[in-house]
Amino acid sequence: MNIYSKWLAKYVTLPEGAETLAHLLTSLGLESNVIPNAYDTLTGVVTAEIVTVGKHPGSDRLSICEVNDGHQSVTVVCGAPNAAPGQKVMLAKPGAILPNGMKITSSRVRGILSEGMLCAEDELGISDDHSGIMILDPATPCGMTIQHYFESRGFTLSVDLTPNRPDAASHIGIARDLACALDRDMHLPRIELTENEPSTASAITVSIDNPVGCPRYAARIVKGLAIGPSPDWLAEALQHVGIRSINNVVDAANYVLMETGHPLHTFDYREIRRKQIIVRNARSAEMVTTLDGIQRQLNEEILLICDGERPVAIGGIMGLANSEITEQTTDILIESAYFDPGTIRKGSKYLGLQSEASYRFERGADPQGVIFALNRVTALIQELAGGQVLTGIVDNYIRPLSSPRVVVRFQRINQLLGVDVAPEWVVSKLRRIGCEIIAADQQSVTLISPSWRPDLEREVDYIEEVLRFYGMSNIPACTEIRIPLTAEHDNRHDHLESIRQSVADFGYVEVYNNSLVSEKLIGYGLENHPPVRLKNPLSLDMAYLRTELAPGLTFTAQRNIFRRNRDLQLFEIGFIQTLDPDSETHARETLKLAVLVSGLYSARHWDVSPRPSDLFNLKGLLEALAERYGWPQPEYKPSNHRLYQPVLEIMMVNQPIGWLMQAKPEYLRTTWDIEQPLAIMELNLDVLLSLLRMDRHYSALPVYPSVQRDLSIVLDERQLVDDVVKIIQQYGGSSLKEVRFYDLYQGKNIDKGQKSFTFSLVFQTAERTLTDEEVDHTMQTIIGALERDCQARLR
Amino acid sequence: MTLDQEIDGVRQQLQQDLSQINPTQATLETLRIRYLGKKGIVPALFRYLPKLAVEERPDAGQMLNQLKNETEKALDDLHQYLIHQQENRATFFDYTLPGKRPPVGHLHPVTRTMNAIIDIFRRMGFSIAFGPEIETDYNNFQALNFPDNHPARDMQDTFFIDRDILLRTHTSPIQVRTMLQNKPPIRILAPGRVYRNEAINPRSYCMFHQIEGLYVDEQVTFAELKTTLDIFAKQFFGAGVKTRLRPSFFPFTEPSAEMDISCFICGGSGCRVCKQTGWLEILGCGMVDPNVFRSVGIDPEKYTGYAFGMGPDRISLLKYGIDDIRLLFEGDIRFLNQF
Repeated sequence: MNIYSKWLAKYVTLPEGAETLAHLLTSLGLESNVIPNAYDTLTGVVTAEIVTVGKHPGSDRLSICEVNDGHQSVTVVCGAPNAAPGQKVMLAKPGAILPNGMKITSSRVRGILSEGMLCAEDELGISDDHSGIMILDPATPCGMTIQHYFESRGFTLSVDLTPNRPDAASHIGIARDLACALDRDMHLPRIELTENEPSTASAITVSIDNPVGCPRYAARIVKGLAIGPSPDWLAEALQHVGIRSINNVVDAANYVLMETGHPLHTFDYREIRRKQIIVRNARSAEMVTTLDGIQRQLNEEILLICDGERPVAIGGIMGLANSEITEQTTDILIESAYFDPGTIRKGSKYLGLQSEASYRFERGADPQGVIFALNRVTALIQELAGGQVLTGIVDNYIRPLSSPRVVVRFQRINQLLGVDVAPEWVVSKLRRIGCEIIAADQQSVTLISPSWRPDLEREVDYIEEVLRFYGMSNIPACTEIRIPLTAEHDNRHDHLESIRQSVADFGYVEVYNNSLVSEKLIGYGLENHPPVRLKNPLSLDMAYLRTELAPGLTFTAQRNIFRRNRDLQLFEIGFIQTLDPDSETHARETLKLAVLVSGLYSARHWDVSPRPSDLFNLKGLLEALAERYGWPQPEYKPSNHRLYQPVLEIMMVNQPIGWLMQAKPEYLRTTWDIEQPLAIMELNLDVLLSLLRMDRHYSALPVYPSVQRDLSIVLDERQLVDDVVKIIQQYGGSSLKEVRFYDLYQGKNIDKGQKSFTFSLVFQTAERTLTDEEVDHTMQTIIGALERDCQARLR
Repeated sequence: MTLDQEIDGVRQQLQQDLSQINPTQATLETLRIRYLGKKGIVPALFRYLPKLAVEERPDAGQMLNQLKNETEKALDDLHQYLIHQQENRATFFDYTLPGKRPPVGHLHPVTRTMNAIIDIFRRMGFSIAFGPEIETDYNNFQALNFPDNHPARDMQDTFFIDRDILLRTHTSPIQVRTMLQNKPPIRILAPGRVYRNEAINPRSYCMFHQIEGLYVDEQVTFAELKTTLDIFAKQFFGAGVKTRLRPSFFPFTEPSAEMDISCFICGGSGCRVCKQTGWLEILGCGMVDPNVFRSVGIDPEKYTGYAFGMGPDRISLLKYGIDDIRLLFEGDIRFLNQF
């Protein structure tokens, strides 16, 4: 909302300076910024007097003006129709750059040297008027800068209001806070109104079918007025707050809205049939055409203002086209009402229609301010448009609304804020903001809140009010804080962040993917859990919550590969959601870790040959993490999937904890347009965090030396390393401490369909040094078992 | 030709020979024989000595000895140079070759920011609490004093899953869950991902992150809140940073405030980032509203508390000078590798 300084100054004396005022309002919770003027930074534009105006010999349209800028006389060629001798004007001198980018130079216009330009309002960024040059006050001295000239014009503030302060959506509302903060008096406008018979009551009746939705409806009637343009002061005031001038009656209503904050509506009285106003709820699917020319379908919760035959306005939201003020209007009915905030909000939401009126009503207008605003606007209309004001007000207000009575304890203020305020100071401030003080002593004050402050209902609301005027910057700093001590400590966050850091330390780059995904992306998952769908998604591409991290990670890999970032080691930690009818929110959330590799694992380097990444990088990462976090040895169960091959389900102590998979080339090519291999591992962090063991147990270091033997065998290429290791361990006896697989070979010297495995075996006992004979014997046993069970032979 | 002239001639010739030859051990040996060998140039000059007058001999001998010393030194220097060069070649070491790096990954910039924020508050005794991203309307709004059909709900455009189930719009429902399950004193930090139904553009995204703090105990004051946040801002943004609180509105706190810090880019003089104001808005805060206490069964007469919340995504944009929030969620490694 915009506030115009000269308008505001009518109600309270302002502090010096635009920025000072903006800072003061901001410190009161009315966040304000000075709106800069287009002319603030102009140079070379000064006031000047037209001395003579002569015809341009080369043009009918142009004239030659002799202009005095206070120092000298210059010649200016001017195209405006309204230039005349003696006028005071704005002269842009050569070198000036106008807000529209026009650069002023000394140049010949049809043969005559023009040393500047006389400016129209639009050229100075003051308005969009381009009908002629701007004519200034005749008393203006020559040679003033434009900024100096406009200094007295005032400035406009944009005020960003919080939803709890509908009262501040007006000049009087802002002035009230200022008056209280500065301890200055408020000056409310005096209302002078001449009434004539007959009475308003004889010309209109008001009945309210729904007094909950519309507790109060008041009306006045003005007859025989003349619609016409508004005077300059009114049009300019509205222009400063961003409202376009329409005519004297509409402008008067807008002016009083911006002055008091109370929304008003004017009807063409001759369109009000049967001299009746009826406030009722709309019927289901009832259709109306609003002032903006749009046909709208209503529901039963929306309030309609009707005459004796038909609707004429949507209550508190917008008038209808059928009764609006036109150039021909002579008689008007002015509505000043109070509508229930919830009712207006529901209606406004349903219609998708917010107006200046609905904005205020849904936040809470002033039920007791109805009559002041009505009288104020009627008097203004009478002043501007003439006419006869009928005697009296029709005011339907059956069950008057009252403001709450509240007790505020001074000790509670000090306790909550950490200050020490004097009771007298508190009472004086609360009185200034409009509270009615019922009783006050040294302990507490009992008061009734002003009717325009729907936010003041409870003691704590008043404590906030005290804080606003006390000033948050005046709250003293504490020198110490209390920290509650507890023996319990939940490690979950530490462990999670440690895992995140480890994965990054192992060379992976953390990404954050959008949790909102398309149905298609969900289809690239592995497990096919039913997804959670949004009722009101931004778009179909973001209509579901992700059920797995892998598809989103693939999407991110694609984006990188398309941007030629081909070597990727990515990871993400995040929640996934799937449907779960048993849960309170019908959803189950699982914390996941997903890791993706594609392209080269180790980049080209002078010392290391580049190696493409694959599934074993991910398997190795899991092994490294398992060692660091004390997880049990992972086991892998082969599985099948239409998009992934191989697919391994990862198990820890018989619990599934995730998947390790390589995307099928066909899937990558057709779905993602990716030609390079890509492998993904997705892990359930909830389970992994529960399996995490950071405690360690020390085993005594061996006293006797170990014996190391290598074992190379040739066997069928379809044998698993793990199976061979198991046999070695089974027959290696208790002295076999370690079996490490370190070479896989196929090719020269190995028959087709066969492969060679090489293991390193370490033997050791705690009791004594092993003899070669003992180890040889064990090796023979192992070899025998391998020959028998794996059809292996020694290489 | 006098002996002086002869000696000068030899000197010049030696200089010439030294500058023209390709320095190797072989050429060095050739020069040594030519100048210092038994039949060399310098011993040949010594043979003149006996032919000179007796009184001239001491001076001449001195000159010849000097020439001999000079020649020996010059050849010796060359010898040393050759040895040095040989050693250099044998031990050549290109220390400019790139190092063999362990793999280096990167944490997301928002992770870095969240961790830095969390570290500061953990030093102040806050513990971490979590909650689900899918929430009930009750936990996300009603228990936090957002009544149905209240304009305050417009402050947070919401994704709904069902009539009363939604994607949390802030991490404040964690407050509610924590207070329902624990008795005061409560001192928690609630980080997490939140969602708002807002169009995606360089300034806003449909999801982001939040860190909320909550402290509930007897006699918690606004002054304590102010001090705690001021210390946080100084530790996080730099000890020279100034803070200011200004009144604001949040349904779940009363009084409510927003905290600005003096712009750390321009130092408060006004720039594009702070929109010429000299201040950057970084968090919202306030004293827990009694209605919130009532909805979780805590006696608002006995206990008071404060809450604050901030957006690590926005803080990351400010801190790292990122001009487009979408970069955070695109996963481009050229962006992520900078952190």
